[in-house]
Amino acid sequence: MSATNVGPELRAETAPAQPKGAVLEATGLTRRYGDLAAVDGLDLSVHPGEIYCLLGPNGAGKTTTINLFLGFVAPTSGSARVGGLDVATHPLETKHHLAYIPEQVMLYRNLTGVENLEYFATLAGKGALPRTDLLRILGEAGLPAVAAERRVGTYSKGMRQRVGIAIAIAKGAEALLLDEPTSGLDPKASNEFSALLDGMRQRGVAVLMATHDLFRAKENGTRVGIMRHGRLVVEMTTAELGHADLERVYLDHMRD
Amino acid sequence: MLSHVMRHEARSLAADRTLQAVALLFGAILVYALANGVAWLRVQETTLASAAADDLTRREALAAQIRALEDGTATPAGGDPRAPATLGGARGARLAALPPGPLGALAAGQGDLLPFYYQVSLASNDQSFVQNGEIENPLNLMVGRFDLAFVLIFVLPLLILVVSYNLISAEREQGTLALTLAQPVPLATVVGGKVALRALVVLGAAVALTLAGALIVETDRPGALVLWTVSVTLYALFWFALAVAVNALGRGSAWNATVLVGAWLALVVVVPALVNVAAHLIHPLPSRVEMITAQRDASNDAVNRRSELLARYYEDHPEMVQGLALDTANAAARSWAATEEVNRRLSEVASRYEARLAEQHRLIGRWRFLSPALLAQDALLDAAGTGDARFGRFRGQVMEFAEAWKAFFVPHVLAGTHLSSADLEAVPEFRFVEEPPGALARRVAAPLLVLTGLTLVVAGVGLRLLSRYPVLG
Repeated sequence: MSATNVGPELRAETAPAQPKGAVLEATGLTRRYGDLAAVDGLDLSVHPGEIYCLLGPNGAGKTTTINLFLGFVAPTSGSARVGGLDVATHPLETKHHLAYIPEQVMLYRNLTGVENLEYFATLAGKGALPRTDLLRILGEAGLPAVAAERRVGTYSKGMRQRVGIAIAIAKGAEALLLDEPTSGLDPKASNEFSALLDGMRQRGVAVLMATHDLFRAKENGTRVGIMRHGRLVVEMTTAELGHADLERVYLDHMRD
Repeated sequence: MLSHVMRHEARSLAADRTLQAVALLFGAILVYALANGVAWLRVQETTLASAAADDLTRREALAAQIRALEDGTATPAGGDPRAPATLGGARGARLAALPPGPLGALAAGQGDLLPFYYQVSLASNDQSFVQNGEIENPLNLMVGRFDLAFVLIFVLPLLILVVSYNLISAEREQGTLALTLAQPVPLATVVGGKVALRALVVLGAAVALTLAGALIVETDRPGALVLWTVSVTLYALFWFALAVAVNALGRGSAWNATVLVGAWLALVVVVPALVNVAAHLIHPLPSRVEMITAQRDASNDAVNRRSELLARYYEDHPEMVQGLALDTANAAARSWAATEEVNRRLSEVASRYEARLAEQHRLIGRWRFLSPALLAQDALLDAAGTGDARFGRFRGQVMEFAEAWKAFFVPHVLAGTHLSSADLEAVPEFRFVEEPPGALARRVAAPLLVLTGLTLVVAGVGLRLLSRYPVLG
């Protein structure tokens, strides 16, 4: 079910036509835990070069949506598709197209950034990349070589997220799933992360980001969806975001 | 992909100082256990060499005395060595020795509990084959020797559990599992790589020490080495499979550790102990005191009735009378008749003891399938040549040899004839005949097949659970 409680802003304008071939696509996606619907009839699609920001309070279904795309939980009904393939029936194939950055990018603390990247890149099927390539990719993600050679146990959250981005770059992922990536980052690190994200968008990556950060959503998002009780209640495009008060829209839809 | 995961695991484990310390400790324990086993083997070899040297010296002295008597260069003094009761008795007793097993340095097994040599003479009877001639520290007998087999049966599973109890749970608790499984790789492959690397390291150490032990004892039985290695591998794989299955239940590391240590306690300590206790309760052995008392009673009674017994003996064995110079006053013949009576009465007690012991062994043999530790131990001891079967075979051959010894000397005893130096060549010799490798393989196949089956079942359950593993906890 898409935008069943769509706000006046969205109703007032017709959403612009999206480029063909959504990388991420949810159709009637539902996940129930007993009587509770964590995600309820979700329809959304994220296209190459898009940053789709999912907003909503805790328990709205944002993280469950990401987990459904990752195949970590199975849908009760509906489908999550990645690169045109159903996650439920092609759990491994769909992961070739995906990169994932959780709220806390947890890496192997005893290993260096380079060693972590090397491992995840090989898991992603990229073979054994030369060390120079690994350092270059980490550099692209904003991690200097000196830091890349240190053990991850010494890294800040921002540095670990850069390794997460580096994994996505190394993998050549077509879609990036982010769960609260800027939570706990200081403004400078948050800004740097936004810049990296924008770089991914410019590479043509389809980004789906669950966040509480309205500012970042407006700053980075090419589309914004607001979830509540597992449903997508508002969906806004870049054009709509340009003149909308996102905070007001958000709060309006949080009222019972 | 498996090799990539293994390489990553090698890096991660190498960077873990706690695991490094555990690995060092395990290595030291393995080396100490091997050194201990080699020391025990040397004790056996020294004992056997000493017994063989005594045996040879005694026989040569007897032969020299006999030749001197025949040459007329000496006269009988303190008993004629040509007398069959002397030559076949304690002075002429023959050593029957069990050579150390092909991998005796790796597992003392029954070697510290059961005799590995006997002095066979006309005085040998069933009791000789029940009682141990060597005195051993009772504590050693109770807990077993700290040899490589002990370490592999008791300590190896603990090491495997230490490195595997949190195989998946730690990744989930540390948050790396989600990032790992966001890659196009099945959880089973990741777990397979982790287990393969750990198994390679743990088994590598165990097999390296086994090979070292085999080189030290210069074994000439490669089949035994293969059997030992296969047994250790299967036993280790069982514990790895169990660790995977428990991990696959999706609980936390602390829960996994508790369950796995409980399993170790149950399968390695409690079940074998219960099987042993049950065997003793269901088939209690007659007391050795009863046997010793029976021997004394029989001996006293027989001594008091020597003449009567000799007459009865000749009635039973008329072939011994024909053509022989019967001399009822022959002291040796009377003594032999008394000995036979003692042996007959002892045999009744000993056979009850043997029957109960055999029932105990049969019961333990059936119930060993309850514990992988018992199955693996059986296979390891059989490979090392220190198991019940080889000692039983040895004892059987020694008893046959004792009968051959009697068959050679007793007619001379009853006839009152002396032997000559020419007869010495015909005196029976003991040579232990090993079990054919095929028979050994067939006997060991049963425990190893069951161990393989158990491992496959546990691994199958683990893999099935892994396919439903809750990544998010």
